[in-house]
Amino acid sequence: MPAADTAAPATGSPARPAGPSPGLLPPRWRRVAPWLLLIAGVLAGFGLQTQLYTGQERTASTILMFVSLAVAWNLIGGYAGYACFGQVGFFGLGGYSTAVLMTHVHLSFWLALPASALLVGAFAALIGAPLLRLRGHYFAVAMLGVAEGLREVVTNVPGLTGGGAGITVPTVDAGAPTRWLGNDGFYILFLVLAGILVGVGLLVSTSRAGYALRAINQDEDAAAAMGINTTVVKTMTLAVSAALTGAVGAAYAFQQVTIYPERLFDVDITVLMVVMVVLGGAGTVIGPVIGAVAVAFASEWLRQNYPMVHTFLLGGLIIAAVILLPQGFTTYVHDAVRTRRFSPLANLRRYRL
Amino acid sequence: MARDGVMSQFLQATLYGLLQGGVFALVAVGFSLVWGVMNVVNLAHGAFVVAGAYVAFELHSWIGIDPFLAVPVVAAVLFAIGYLVQRYLVNLVINAPVFITLLLTFGLQLVIVNGMIMLFTANYRSIPTAYATTSLALPGDVRLPVGRLMAALLAVGLTLALGYLMRHTRVGLAILATGMDRGAARLMGIKAAHVYALTFGLAVAMAGVAGAAVGAIGTFSPADAGRFTVFSFVAAVLGGLGTMSGALYGGLLLGLAEAWGGQLLPGTLVNAVAFAVLVVVLAVRPQGLAGRSFYAARVEV
Amino acid sequence: MRSAAVASVLMLVAAGCGSKGEATNSAGKTGTLTVGASLSLTGSLAREGTLTKEGYEVCQDVVNSKGGVSVGGKKLTLQIQYQDDTSAPDTAGQLVDQFNDKGVRLILGPYGSATTASTAAVVERNGQVMVDSSGADDSIFTKGYKRTFAVLAPATEYAASMVQAIYDLANPRPRTLAFVSADDGFSKTATQGGVDKAKQLGFTVVDTEYVPNGTSDVSAALTKLKGKNPDVILGSAHLAEGVAIVKQSKELGVTPPGGFAETVAPPTPDFVQTLGPAANGVLGSTQWTVKTKGSDSWFGSAPDYAATFKAKFSGRDPEYHGAEATAACLVLVLGVQKAGSTDPDKVRDAIAGLDEQSFFGPLKFSPNGENLTKAMAVIQIQNGKPVTVWPKDSSEAAMTWPGTAS
Repeated sequence: MPAADTAAPATGSPARPAGPSPGLLPPRWRRVAPWLLLIAGVLAGFGLQTQLYTGQERTASTILMFVSLAVAWNLIGGYAGYACFGQVGFFGLGGYSTAVLMTHVHLSFWLALPASALLVGAFAALIGAPLLRLRGHYFAVAMLGVAEGLREVVTNVPGLTGGGAGITVPTVDAGAPTRWLGNDGFYILFLVLAGILVGVGLLVSTSRAGYALRAINQDEDAAAAMGINTTVVKTMTLAVSAALTGAVGAAYAFQQVTIYPERLFDVDITVLMVVMVVLGGAGTVIGPVIGAVAVAFASEWLRQNYPMVHTFLLGGLIIAAVILLPQGFTTYVHDAVRTRRFSPLANLRRYRL
Repeated sequence: MARDGVMSQFLQATLYGLLQGGVFALVAVGFSLVWGVMNVVNLAHGAFVVAGAYVAFELHSWIGIDPFLAVPVVAAVLFAIGYLVQRYLVNLVINAPVFITLLLTFGLQLVIVNGMIMLFTANYRSIPTAYATTSLALPGDVRLPVGRLMAALLAVGLTLALGYLMRHTRVGLAILATGMDRGAARLMGIKAAHVYALTFGLAVAMAGVAGAAVGAIGTFSPADAGRFTVFSFVAAVLGGLGTMSGALYGGLLLGLAEAWGGQLLPGTLVNAVAFAVLVVVLAVRPQGLAGRSFYAARVEV
Repeated sequence: MRSAAVASVLMLVAAGCGSKGEATNSAGKTGTLTVGASLSLTGSLAREGTLTKEGYEVCQDVVNSKGGVSVGGKKLTLQIQYQDDTSAPDTAGQLVDQFNDKGVRLILGPYGSATTASTAAVVERNGQVMVDSSGADDSIFTKGYKRTFAVLAPATEYAASMVQAIYDLANPRPRTLAFVSADDGFSKTATQGGVDKAKQLGFTVVDTEYVPNGTSDVSAALTKLKGKNPDVILGSAHLAEGVAIVKQSKELGVTPPGGFAETVAPPTPDFVQTLGPAANGVLGSTQWTVKTKGSDSWFGSAPDYAATFKAKFSGRDPEYHGAEATAACLVLVLGVQKAGSTDPDKVRDAIAGLDEQSFFGPLKFSPNGENLTKAMAVIQIQNGKPVTVWPKDSSEAAMTWPGTAS
């Protein structure tokens, strides 16, 4: 339990905007402050590592992995408003590409990871071009179909992927292309990945592309009328989001050593990403980070303390959080600070029928 | 002779696929209704299907009611549950962004599935009936399983009945009107909160009945909830959201795709085919097979 | 925002102080022997995970009621800590790592081959010791692990034992077999073992069909098999697929003259409950029956164990999931007693050298951790009850053949 206790503030604290709202800071600070916070957060992560047992490191690595996944999903789901329900397909594809490259081609992990990310990005661009013409729920379910289909394909080429029996990345023998990194190594890997992903999120948030995406989210036709090439922007965003997710999948596959299609394409992982982003605050930089840490921490804590009923309790917690903070934590705090109305009950009045 | 064998195998697969598809349709119709009318993606839908199976199972083991005769009771119980869930839970966040209701139903799914594990354990169950394993022999060595036939007839009948209800009764029209334009519907004196709860109740009752049918012809356990939700997702979208006939077409198509794919393809590639069909249908005809731009005219108030 | 920055800097400072925590050994204190078990209490394997847990609970009760585990003249109370891995292999591995942090170095295996493979790798890295109660896939034991011991016969035996039983006992002996296999690692390995055995004994294998793991619709595979008219259909699958094979065969008019044989489904009580009379005549393979030979000082003989189990779970008969879990726990207890220590290295060496009889049969491990001396038994559902029919010298009843006649 101490693992998660200490892990939460390390990545979560830079986010809690308890002070005056960002609008009151001088413009130069507003630009630099998030980057400083990010660097401080990553450094705090390194500091935290000195305090953890090796098994806690693994738990913390999982939390960091979900931070990365949530941030990646937020690009397409949060900013662009395209509910990608097949994100786990990119995760699994990245993981399997790396496992196959390392096992059959004996490629070093450090080459396999970027190669997998590129492959997944290209795949996403390819399917994104036709599917991103779909809107709303139709896009969601099409992507769900893509992810489920990928799982079945991976299961059915046992020569390459081991099929349902799973594939084991060589990590110990003389033939291993890269030695297993150890719990310490993987903690650092996932920390750095999370740092890079949050950095990408920051870049997108403040760039032209970010504004284009928000415009698409609010009114796609109007955005197109304003001269935004919506197809290109959407496809690029999906590709970037997928490539980053694929990179996380690659790291995960190497960490797990043996991977199975059922787990690597588990639709629950997609749902968790959505839960984390929405509870934290969709379309913000820090929201997904808070959401991921809070949800991953809560589920871990409940499991350790109430092993028999933990999922039941987690469900109740999500219901309560959704009803009290339907706009997500970050947005709630932002609005509350601005309007000086802090009661979540006002919230309830706003969204009920 | 070999030709006959292939033909009989093909006919058998087609028949079985259609029967299976009928049940898929009943599983999916409520999901489609809720999505179409309220813009709520109900991730707990599969959990309600399993809950319906448990109600039928309990009725059978207490007083020995046949699962098909228990359908009205199952429907009533599940309707009540659905009504209350919508009225006192989902309605609280119905105006929030669409993901919020999705998350709410995800939480609900965790609670219901794990609640059922606590109440009923995770055992695999089936409601034993005399006819579940009997079948009628048709010409050409094709078998017509009696249990599945009953389930499919019930499913198709209920789906059509629901379609009629939506088009030709005051309640149905109120639901449709609220689905199309809630603001206008309210101005006409429709109580949206009540209508939404009715809609959800109807959908959950349909899910429960589907569960009773599944319990009679197959096995179920709380872990199956997710699978039913994915089926509904696919069938509802294939057919076009919100229309009752759409769920029917979607379910039948899904059943056929699985049955034919299973014959033509080695191993378990059949599932990949089902999803490939889904993606292709969506890319070519995004409004679904039977979908009209009916709910696209929705005005959010 | 500024105060957030301050907070994170404070975190940084706090994090920089102090040294890396060391695992404390809670196992040795206050006379308890703490053992960790990561089990599938929710998720797709919840049913089997719960059955495994029952076996561990019986073991803990019996061992403690007989005074506990004696280590170096002291009696330690056995205490098993359970965690839920939600049927996910990665979570199972993570939980074993967490046990290690808490100083729990002795591990009882999770349910299933995927979770067992994942935890075996972690156990090896951490220098813990695990006794595996249900991970039968042979691939777990080809990776050179030295710290995982399985009490059960390997996956290749599951279908092969039934093929042997049919060869030995069926009269008239069938000639053609067909396999329906789930597509997970364990089922595929079992199928492969069965196919090899069948060819070796001179049967013709007319077809092998694969179905998705955990499906309740195997109609496509059965429709394809139908035209090939096998004498016996062998299912290598779990409960849901196993029930579906029998049920949908009846629906589809697939009537192999010799009936059905399935690996793990028939011995579980759910099989008979869900299928009713349709279950009669189906053969199944099992790691343990009440006729299993051998006994030990903790649980007595197999009938004694059955009585203990029944008393604890209000009259319910034990089946092999529970028995193999209890046996795994027994191996750990025997290992600790023999080593006279709870040190994982010493316990490992003690278990590696174990050669004991028990209610579960012989317990003796090959260098890669498999219990090769363990033989499987074959049961047949007769009048709604599983009865042992093979091996013949420890059978409860003669095999009814053909299975469809009953």
